Amino acid sequence: MIERELTVSNRLGLHARATAKLVQVLSAFRSNATLTAKGREVNAKSIMGVMLLAAGQGTHVKLRIEGEDEATAAEAVVSLFERRFDEDS
Amino acid sequence: MRQEFQGVGASRGSALGRARVRLPHALEVAEERIGREQVDSELARLHAAIDTVRGEIHVLRERLHGALAHEVGEFLDLHTLLLDDPELLQGLDELIRTGHYAADYALRLQRDRIASVFEAMDDAYFRSRVDDIDQVIGRIHAALHRRDHDTQGVAGEILIADNVAPAELAQLQTQGVMAIVTAAGSALSHSAILARSLHLPLVVGTAQALLKINDGDAVVVDGATGSVILEPNADDLRAHRARVRELARERKQLHRLRREPTITRDGVDIKLYANAESREDVAEAHALGAAGVGLYRTEFLFLQRNELPDEDEQFRVYRDVVLGMTGRVVTIRTLDLGADKADKTGLALRDEPNPALGVRGVRLSMAREGLLETQLRAILRASGYGPVRVLVPMVSASEEVRAVRALLDKAAADLRREGHEIAERVPLGAMIEVPAAALALPAFIGAVDFLSIGTNDLVQYLLAVDRNNEALAALYTPLHPAVLRVIRDVIKLGKARGKPVAVCGEMAGDPAFAPLLLALGLEEFSLHPATLLELRRAIRGLNLDSLRKRAPALLRAGDRKAIERWLEQTNAV
Repeated sequence: MIERELTVSNRLGLHARATAKLVQVLSAFRSNATLTAKGREVNAKSIMGVMLLAAGQGTHVKLRIEGEDEATAAEAVVSLFERRFDEDS
Repeated sequence: MRQEFQGVGASRGSALGRARVRLPHALEVAEERIGREQVDSELARLHAAIDTVRGEIHVLRERLHGALAHEVGEFLDLHTLLLDDPELLQGLDELIRTGHYAADYALRLQRDRIASVFEAMDDAYFRSRVDDIDQVIGRIHAALHRRDHDTQGVAGEILIADNVAPAELAQLQTQGVMAIVTAAGSALSHSAILARSLHLPLVVGTAQALLKINDGDAVVVDGATGSVILEPNADDLRAHRARVRELARERKQLHRLRREPTITRDGVDIKLYANAESREDVAEAHALGAAGVGLYRTEFLFLQRNELPDEDEQFRVYRDVVLGMTGRVVTIRTLDLGADKADKTGLALRDEPNPALGVRGVRLSMAREGLLETQLRAILRASGYGPVRVLVPMVSASEEVRAVRALLDKAAADLRREGHEIAERVPLGAMIEVPAAALALPAFIGAVDFLSIGTNDLVQYLLAVDRNNEALAALYTPLHPAVLRVIRDVIKLGKARGKPVAVCGEMAGDPAFAPLLLALGLEEFSLHPATLLELRRAIRGLNLDSLRKRAPALLRAGDRKAIERWLEQTNAV
């Protein structure tokens, strides 16, 4: 199992578009993934679940990934967060 | 008693009819339990409904084109993702399986469960996302009951509703709704954009109408001014009839242009080709008097199913397009697929880090053994039935053009040897949509017979702006000096070497850009049939000579503002 602490740093936060990106990235992997924020844990492969976090800019989230391809999956998610979901300049 | 409600006109057109009121909370279903033995059939019913919705969204996507596909597509993608959402689906399954609720009630419970969390959010943006979930759940609910009430539909009626989702609009139009009035919504919403493209009158932002109008009331709606009149009087009816006559006259005038040439005021013939990807597009192109098909997309052949289409199947499709155009030229574009389009055949590489810069277009066609050969053979065989041209997408180097030329020549020789009757010569064209292709054009223009400028990708690559990136929406524009210069240079070189040049991106289909493209020297446009007559009308009102005299000023324009000013001044002349 891999755990990572991440910060939502894109301007709009984990809104529909960014969440769709996250879900699409994760859907390529077999591992299970969850995000935890504000005391709530959700399935990171569910667009609805992630939107329920209402994680705006600056929110700290914990990513937990478990499965055979957890290392590459975690790397892909971390990179997406670092790239601010490709939305900010 | 006459009453008038003022809303915002979101889509032109006037309608008089009986009201059909659809109150919000359509999901007010009563609690209903099922027996243990019904669980499986109830689950099957639910999933059949979800599949129906998925299919409807897919069909809607196919009907969208151009800017609209870009605007609404993203939104539809979100809804498709929601339809596949594990949380949503597992929750529903669980409610039916262990809670023994009927599918309807399970939808309602699940909706309320999700909505309560969303509604408690502080952030307005997140709070409003409950609308998307509502729309998706509402559509599943509607699909569950499609057979029961939707067949009676809203034909000939005016729908008064809280809101309508874009995906619903196309369906309402098919059912024959005359106009729509909504309490919520804005003139800039996806629904409004779609309503305009479907020519469906729409007034938004009239909460009063929903409160005061009842089923069966007579109503007059004016989609231009946003006025909604309940129990209209004689004056209202007269005004309505005048508006309808005016619109009909306008449409008739436009319609009359079907048989007119596309000719500028100073008598220069401009060729309008149609972009097409379906039988309907081809029929429409023919009926509207298009010069031919300037871009026939072949992706659908590869996207719809699980295996690759073979030569015979492709040949039959291409042949039918050629026959459908009765002697006018048909330009068939070879497969333009990349990782940005989901295919089931496993053809495109999945999860490329940057699909726009990846294995797409001609790169993909050449990477797969036999793929391009098969397609070229099928196109060549269709050339026995009428004039055909081959257009190659995403060219970025001379080598690619020469490689395709060699394959085309070899395929033609093979087919002749096999005894097929094919055209003596099938012209080969390259799409200019990568800046490198425009710059390297002198090196390979000798190897092609014609050129087509794809402005959508050209703008994206020239300006380094991902056109799907909302944050950069303001930067994505063809009104950039670099874009105009490239277009001008390609047209100029094409003319010098006797190779026709067309523009086939969204820019070509917008009549507002016509003066600009004519000033840059363009004489061939390829656009979706939906706007062909409007472009013809615009061109017939322009004077080519005076536009070309103003070209130097356009090319001197240093920024978007200056180009917009040029366009404004031109339109004023």
